[in-house]
Amino acid sequence: MTEMTVLEALNAAMAHELEHDPKVVILGEDVGIAGGIFRTTQGLQNKFGVDRVIDTPLDEKGIAAHAVGMALYGMRPVVEIQFSGFIHDCIEQIMFCGAKYRWVLGGEYSVPMTIRAPSFGGIMGGIWHSHSPESYFAHGSGIKIIAPSTPQDAYSMLITAIRDPDPVLVLEPVPLYRTLRDEVDETLKTQEFGKAEIVRSGSDITVVVYGPLRHKTVEVADSLAEDEGIDVEVIDLKTLIPFDIETLVNSVKRTGKMVIIHEASQTMGFGAEIATSVQAKAFGYLEAPIDRVCAPDVPHSYRVGDEFYIPNKDRIRAGIMKTMEAIL
Amino acid sequence: MSTQSDNKFTGNPREPEPVPLAQADELGIKQVLDCDGNANGNLADPNLSEDEVRKFYEMMVLVRAIDDRGWKLQRSGRIAFWIPLLGQEAVQVGVTCALDDKDWIFRAHRELAVWLLRGKSLKMLFAQFYGAEEEPLRGRRLPCLIGSRDINLISSTTQVGASLPHAVGAAWAAKLLGGSEKFLIFFGDGSASRGEFHSAMNFAGIHQPPVMMVCVNNGWAVTTPLDRQTASANFAAKGDNYGVRNVRVDGNDPLALYAVTKDAHDNIEEYGPTLIEAVTFRLGYHTSSDNPDLYRHEQECELWKPWDPVRRLRLYMENKGWWDQTREDALIALHEKEIQEAVTAAEAMKIPGPASQFDDVFAETNWMIEEQKERILSEVKADD
Repeated sequence: MTEMTVLEALNAAMAHELEHDPKVVILGEDVGIAGGIFRTTQGLQNKFGVDRVIDTPLDEKGIAAHAVGMALYGMRPVVEIQFSGFIHDCIEQIMFCGAKYRWVLGGEYSVPMTIRAPSFGGIMGGIWHSHSPESYFAHGSGIKIIAPSTPQDAYSMLITAIRDPDPVLVLEPVPLYRTLRDEVDETLKTQEFGKAEIVRSGSDITVVVYGPLRHKTVEVADSLAEDEGIDVEVIDLKTLIPFDIETLVNSVKRTGKMVIIHEASQTMGFGAEIATSVQAKAFGYLEAPIDRVCAPDVPHSYRVGDEFYIPNKDRIRAGIMKTMEAIL
Repeated sequence: MSTQSDNKFTGNPREPEPVPLAQADELGIKQVLDCDGNANGNLADPNLSEDEVRKFYEMMVLVRAIDDRGWKLQRSGRIAFWIPLLGQEAVQVGVTCALDDKDWIFRAHRELAVWLLRGKSLKMLFAQFYGAEEEPLRGRRLPCLIGSRDINLISSTTQVGASLPHAVGAAWAAKLLGGSEKFLIFFGDGSASRGEFHSAMNFAGIHQPPVMMVCVNNGWAVTTPLDRQTASANFAAKGDNYGVRNVRVDGNDPLALYAVTKDAHDNIEEYGPTLIEAVTFRLGYHTSSDNPDLYRHEQECELWKPWDPVRRLRLYMENKGWWDQTREDALIALHEKEIQEAVTAAEAMKIPGPASQFDDVFAETNWMIEEQKERILSEVKADD
């Protein structure tokens, strides 16, 4: 076991794969000597050279597109998009080329590329530095989406993504990069996608979350237990595509209530998909409508966005209480 | 070709520009054959053997016959769509023959000859037009969007030009991993306006991967003429600012296309990537959904007809004593028979069932796709 920040865990995962698989390369803006603007790849170019950790032109679409070509040939490119607010220029290349090639080429080719997207708010970054792009990528086919939010998950899930035969979008938790430090078991190289984690067991209400809000949600659950005697079950989804329907349905069958928390804006947010799928499989068990606590359909303000746009502890608590108080 | 200072666009159709192939020297276009098939152009005759030139010619005639049949199959409602290749036979044959079989080719939309030159059957080609279960792409792509891994041929993305960086990226990967394959992509003049063209040229200039990018400039991007597409003097020149070697070649001269591509291919370690602009003309429709009468002056095709690639190569062969009317008649009869057999076989093939379309989204399927599949299959069945 080694104590690491989320950022160090991501770095260690990439270092391990660069060391053990000559087909792995890192591509991105400023990923070389600087180690990326967040320093996630710091030291890797010095160790593995300029042909393995590649500084690219300032061209997000071009980076993603060339990675698609490298992956077709059999490499395992790991693309860093500087901020996920800049990823939209790549949607065609990621979603309509990389994620479709296996299918359109009759199953004869794979595109084993990983796209690292520093995501989520909380650093007073304003609209393009506080983004949650998952819904654009979830609506389609051929790409997996993961959102690790602990050092262990960051380490194991990034290695799993790099080794996956299909494109994987990694939503990295920017606000936790340096603020969250924990033990990492480096013998746990991989972690199966599609498995949610019950972070806190509870019997009164199921709260589904992914990304950095996992931690705030647990804090709210603990305070609700203390203040109100409400026993909240917190589930970290961890993988969005494919998501772990079984764990969610089993939980809601016990609690009868569900609230989904996410940072992406509400309309067509991933919570809508979870709510529809869960109610279809557990309608008879529900004691209240499934609710969502998420961002409004407005852009994220630099100065005050982090205070209300992202669900804060007050909003998470209020959302849980609203469902607890709802009478069917 | 108009330039920036020569902006006289008043809408289509308008008087056609002179055929650039008639001014090859002035326009910097590499050319072996003149309009009557004499090898007296600015590029030396590659002096291919009789067998090699006959292979070129017979393939050009064959794909023209396939194009004719495919068009009729579409017009008679047997297949859904067609992408004509009339007038562009030389590019696909001359370029492909200059490569090794292990080299990767990323297609644009009209290069049917690659499939046949690399040993795939006419029967399976028509199977693709019909979307049959047994063709490699399993009915997923529109007619003509062929591809197959066993011949290193990658089907085009329908978003034209989007695959330019894929060819460059694959070539870059091969260079990094020490592979010996070379890579080539066909793309159209319209594709050169896309961001991916810029990205591909930019990355290719920096990293010098073993790639050849063939801009098939056929004069028209669907209904949009060249001077509405770019103010550059030509497409090859765009390579200069990216540090990419570039050459303009007569796109209706299979011998020049072969020589230029072979040179780029064989000297790729010295030259790095090459942008090849093949100057040709689309004599037919853009696709079966198009109507050129709306936008193209009726005289334009007439001007290009003397520069017909099939006619020019036939005259070259006749001058050498390698071809005559008897051989021509025999070839046409043979193709007619082979094409009819392929059509008959394709018509008898099964089309894929809906279940097969749920395969290959991921290497391993997931519960979400399987649940949707199960439901849809039960609903489809209930409808019958």
